[in-house]
Amino acid sequence: MFIAEFLKTKLAVRRRVFLRAVVGFAGGVVSGSGVVLNTFAWAQGGSSGLPLPDETVDATLKRLFGNRPLNPGEEKLKLELPLIAEDGGNVAVTVESSLPVTGAMRVNHIYIISDKNRRPLLAKFSFTPDSGKALVSTSIRLATTTDVRAVAEMTDGTLYGVSRHVRVTISGCDLPPQS
Amino acid sequence: MAEVGRVSIRLPSNIKQGEVIRIRSLVIHPMEIVQRDKQGQLIKKNYNFIHTMTVIYDGKEVMRAETTQAVSQNPIFTFPLKVERPGKLTVTFSDTTGKTYEGDAEIKFS
Repeated sequence: MFIAEFLKTKLAVRRRVFLRAVVGFAGGVVSGSGVVLNTFAWAQGGSSGLPLPDETVDATLKRLFGNRPLNPGEEKLKLELPLIAEDGGNVAVTVESSLPVTGAMRVNHIYIISDKNRRPLLAKFSFTPDSGKALVSTSIRLATTTDVRAVAEMTDGTLYGVSRHVRVTISGCDLPPQS
Repeated sequence: MAEVGRVSIRLPSNIKQGEVIRIRSLVIHPMEIVQRDKQGQLIKKNYNFIHTMTVIYDGKEVMRAETTQAVSQNPIFTFPLKVERPGKLTVTFSDTTGKTYEGDAEIKFS
């Protein structure tokens, strides 16, 4: 299938140039599928407890953000992660943003996405003006050495992304196979 | 884990009006991860993990988190809150078995 081929070629080049790749990629393939913006299939699957289908990070980004460009957010977002995570099952992550949470143009959601997890969307946080600040910290599971991204979504749909590379010594996602 | 569902909330010791404080909340929960059989195929069953955290302060929702199985066992969440008035803070976790776990704390000014 054409789209599958396209995905493969894009995946090969996406490692270090993901921002550019996402922009080009989204423009190229958006006509090919019926993705509806802001529908969180994973949340529904989550509430039933059924595991969701595996997908690539490009598919996740497209599902969540459609073809909106991901602006570099190095100055607006701070993503703190260890350089080397010895236990992939418990990696502390902190996202702190200088973007406002009050006013007409404010931070609505912060997403944490891991490139190499089988289901890349790890968590989504929603803020209100009562939050006072866009900040969140939690612990996540990483499957393998990967880039982790934080994406902030503003109320008008503008996106800011930042990414960090994390080396993972022991995978946090694989259990030994069941007999 | 006998104490699954225990929620603890930690507030700063000294809270002033109008300040943005950081609140830490912990929930004891296994957050089951996907299991695979010998062929690497996903085992389809209902996994027990927390999918939503909501924070209610003085009767109003101030923060929400939607989590997946990629959040660690016994997760800790740190989140900000702008305190303008004293009130009750409730943190609720819902998991995929339909259970909800609640913890609360009273916000007072010193």
